[in-house]
Amino acid sequence: MPPPKRIRAQTAPTRGLALMSRLTGRTVIESDVCIIGSGITAAMIAQKLARTTAKTIVVVEAGDEAAPLAQRATLRDRFLEYGESPWPHDHIDGYEIEGPLQSRSMGVGGLAMHWGGVTPRWSPEDFKTKSMCGVGTDWPISYEDLDPYYQAAEEVIGVAGEQGPVAMDPRSKPFPMAPIPLTYNLGLLKEWASTAGIAMWSQPSSKNSRPYDGRAECCRNDTCFPICPVGAKYSPDFTWNKLRASNRITLYPRTLVRRLVMDEGSARIGSADAMQRGPRGSGTPVEFRATSFVIAAGYVWSAHLLLLSRSRRAPDGLANRSGNVGKYLGGHRNQQAFIELPLRLYPGINGQHSLVTKQFMRKPVGDKYLRHDLRVWESSNARGPRLRNDAGALMLGDDIMRDWRERSRTGVARVRAYYDVIPDRESSLVLDGRRRNAYGDPLPKLAFRDAPESAALRGYSDDALKRLFERMARAGNGRVIHVEQDDGGFQDHPAGGCRMGSDPATSVVDGWGRAHDHENLFVVGAPTCVSASCANATLTFCALALRSAEEIATSS
Amino acid sequence: MTSLSRRAFLGWLAAAVPVAALVRRAHAAAIDDLAASPQAMQALGEAVLPSELGTSGMTAAVLAFQRWIAGYREHAELLHGYGTSKLESSGTTPATKWSAQLDQLDATAMKVGGRRFAELPVARRRELVSAELAAIKADRIPAVGRAPHVALALLAHFYATAEATDLCYESAIGKQTCRPLSASVRKPLPLAASRS
Ligand SMILES: Cc1cc2nc3c(=O)[nH]c(=O)nc-3n(C[C@H](O)[C@H](O)[C@H](O)COP(=O)(O)OP(=O)(O)OC[C@H]3O[C@@H](n4cnc5c(N)ncnc54)[C@H](O)[C@@H]3O)c2cc1C
Ligand code: SF4
Repeated sequence: MPPPKRIRAQTAPTRGLALMSRLTGRTVIESDVCIIGSGITAAMIAQKLARTTAKTIVVVEAGDEAAPLAQRATLRDRFLEYGESPWPHDHIDGYEIEGPLQSRSMGVGGLAMHWGGVTPRWSPEDFKTKSMCGVGTDWPISYEDLDPYYQAAEEVIGVAGEQGPVAMDPRSKPFPMAPIPLTYNLGLLKEWASTAGIAMWSQPSSKNSRPYDGRAECCRNDTCFPICPVGAKYSPDFTWNKLRASNRITLYPRTLVRRLVMDEGSARIGSADAMQRGPRGSGTPVEFRATSFVIAAGYVWSAHLLLLSRSRRAPDGLANRSGNVGKYLGGHRNQQAFIELPLRLYPGINGQHSLVTKQFMRKPVGDKYLRHDLRVWESSNARGPRLRNDAGALMLGDDIMRDWRERSRTGVARVRAYYDVIPDRESSLVLDGRRRNAYGDPLPKLAFRDAPESAALRGYSDDALKRLFERMARAGNGRVIHVEQDDGGFQDHPAGGCRMGSDPATSVVDGWGRAHDHENLFVVGAPTCVSASCANATLTFCALALRSAEEIATSS
Repeated sequence: MTSLSRRAFLGWLAAAVPVAALVRRAHAAAIDDLAASPQAMQALGEAVLPSELGTSGMTAAVLAFQRWIAGYREHAELLHGYGTSKLESSGTTPATKWSAQLDQLDATAMKVGGRRFAELPVARRRELVSAELAAIKADRIPAVGRAPHVALALLAHFYATAEATDLCYESAIGKQTCRPLSASVRKPLPLAASRS
């Protein structure tokens, strides 16, 4: 067998990789740091290491390149007109899995190519639910530990935000950008919320309220999820473009890491076996060798890769001496209501932007454990054009417009609360022996489960939120039109699977994301979370990743 | 081409070519059909869209709908669902069905009134459309591509536009268009003022 072709990573990905592999039988790519995944948390790690160290950095991404900014206006038009995916082919064929997957997207930039860009911080209570509220498990780090990394993340991705009341919304420095202004509609809705005794403010968002970091100001065309056509919303491709242009990283798209391999005679990770994906399930093997490995593959694929990496020396998978890889998947449940109000609202001014409050994220002493956020949007629910009137008669021509106009003299608010669910250990991801990818590797199987303390409180939580919505409606002389609840199968902003902790017997990684079992292996962001709060999570994943980057920088 | 010969053409295609190619050609044929019947489409618009659009607004709405049909792509990947790994793609072209329904409106008009659909008074056209929609138990304005009837598709296409919302609210909201962020704090201007 010919010797492997060795490539020392430093510049743009080597073209003709597949060709070389065919000639030499194997390609080995060496670097100081090998990051697996190219989502938002990977982007945080890479940019920080690139800025603060001289390490060579390789990023390995299973999916394809994302459509460049110049194409996004056209892709958005197709989405608006036909409902087409504005990110075509951003998935791997055959990855239909059992259980609720957040999204099928796998590609350069990860899920944050089409996220909504909503970026609240979590609250201090989230990291201390056991000591402050008597439920769940405390994290090994506190909100105060994370505060500087939150700030750094907000600066990298560009967050426009309004400081809430300091007691509820502590932060040591101002937001990098002034808030996205409250629309005329949200101004009215804020007044309404205050009559119900709820202080609300502009939702922090990773959308530019002014030109920022070479990207445009938001022009409120309202398709942040799933695609921003002007680049006003942060997405990781902007970071990758810069790092690639400056030759600070080498990114290998369409390259699926299949397993990590331990060095003989030590617990260090020596290599990552990958497949450069070809058409129709074909592929070319590639081996990545590095001093440090960073798994930044999100809440599903990180634990999945560790489980796939089982071997004679690690029969249950890597980093899994505690048996907790794939366990404690968490997220939050939501309940929302549509409330009719005697207000003339104009839906469409900037519909994805909302009001937020953290008032309910602190549990009052003596109350049962219910912590939730609360957001309010303008809504066109029950205020759209319709074909039949209340009597069921068909309308055409002027009748439809007349009916629509009449009904839109009053407005509708959408009100939603995410509430915290304590994850059960058996809320988990396992390898599915029945479903395999094109290379024969088992796919994951997911199931969320509430810990007993949360399961017992589910009815109470749902009722309490319904009562809150009704109280809000009454305060505005309105009425709740209808309430929607999660079916419970999927929990939003999922996290966990490689939880952090100080005790190697009960956790997978330490407070920096370093695997207890392998000194040169890091897992970052979502999978390391101990619990998942009751607010959008990605800013927290980014802050955790930036904190991990500090430790990775010292790793050798 | 007469209605009959158009249908005959589609039928001939069905017998002559494999299914995938047939679908593509049928889509193209149906687009030709719809484009070849501007009076019928315009007449349908007058029956189902609000009269305040005026002739030019109506024509613009009908043309925009025709452009939509022409741009339809079969088996295109649709926006991913959230919380699921299932993927969806667009179905076969609705244009063939819609084209046949236009023909059907013409045929019914001839049968009941001895004239083509476009030649009937608007109120009579509306009755014919209502009867067709009642027959298929239409109860809501669907997504355009899922519309079971060409009349509903045209309605759905118009009512999804920023223009329709602005007309309803008689205000220049301009939903989903690029607008200055700072202007979002004020009440949208009345339509007349924003046009002047
Ligand atoms: C529609 C939508 C809207 C959202 N809106 C918001 C929002 O407004 N606010 C918010 O906070 N969050 C939001 N989220 C969630 C947010 O997008 C995610 O939390 C975040 O992007 C996760 O980033 P990540 O880096 O952890 O993982 P990912 O983005 O999942 O990136 C992981 C990457 O790793 C790659 N990968 C996986 N396995 C391998 C392997 N073995 N080899 C090589 N590569 C691999 C994947 O292809 C993927 O690209 C939204 C999500 C969706 C889907
Ligand atoms: S409102 Fe429009 S411009 Fe602003 S971030 Fe969202 S998609 Fe981009």
